[in-house]
Amino acid sequence: MKAEEFNLINRAKEGEREALNGLFAQEQKYVFNLMIQLTGDPATADDLTQEAFLSAYQDLHKFRLQSSFRTWLSKIAINLFRRECRRKPNHVSICLDEIRIPSEKDSPERTVIKRELQWCILHSLQQHVPKKYRTVLVLRDLQNLSYREISEILSWSMGKTKTCIHRGRKILRAHFINGKCKAFAEKDYLCICEGILEL
Amino acid sequence: MNCKEARSLLSEFYDQELNQETSKALEKHLAGCSECQKEDDNFNKILKVLNKLKTYDIPRDYLEGMKNSKQPRTYVRGI
Repeated sequence: MKAEEFNLINRAKEGEREALNGLFAQEQKYVFNLMIQLTGDPATADDLTQEAFLSAYQDLHKFRLQSSFRTWLSKIAINLFRRECRRKPNHVSICLDEIRIPSEKDSPERTVIKRELQWCILHSLQQHVPKKYRTVLVLRDLQNLSYREISEILSWSMGKTKTCIHRGRKILRAHFINGKCKAFAEKDYLCICEGILEL
Repeated sequence: MNCKEARSLLSEFYDQELNQETSKALEKHLAGCSECQKEDDNFNKILKVLNKLKTYDIPRDYLEGMKNSKQPRTYVRGI
């Protein structure tokens, strides 16, 4: 942990409002994005983010400074997400085979379809990858956290973290292949990689 | 390195978490195995898409909600 963050946390723990605001303000976008990427629902993400900040505010005195503030806050947010998952039943529906990618570059239709494809991938991650693997993939592939940071947030060993990242990615890929996604199922189709790299 | 070993390392390879020796052995295997190469390409396709997904702006200031909440406990030594 950087000395600056250490100092800010200690001041916030002593009740200094300015330090508290500074500490929390810089994490708002991160937590909201983490929640929306995990839940796929802006309203739920909004509620969980608010709840995460309230919990962190109430429990700041329990923070032992043994990890970064972001890691500690991520733990709180992910625990709220897990609780939310237990409350709500799983959603199931997707039609990967309806995705069509025309080969003409830069056409308005193609732009729309690229967006749909992104939505499709995010939807697959949020709705068709089990919670445990979804969490680890969001932390690794969307939030770009290191293996070490992820193992701290989830309280997993490094070995388990590596295994779950690998399995999660395999599950996501298998969903596209089994769902007959055109980009994976047909060799002469424009692939996802080519489509997205232009965005 | 056989195919099973190679495929189990693809994630760490993508994340550059492998040591140099293992990484080179995997690269050598991929260069000579079209099936594992295809598996590696599939991984890369998905992960590149995930890496490029957009981020969202916050819909409101979450610190506002804290102002109406009860004051947190102040720092207690040893906690």
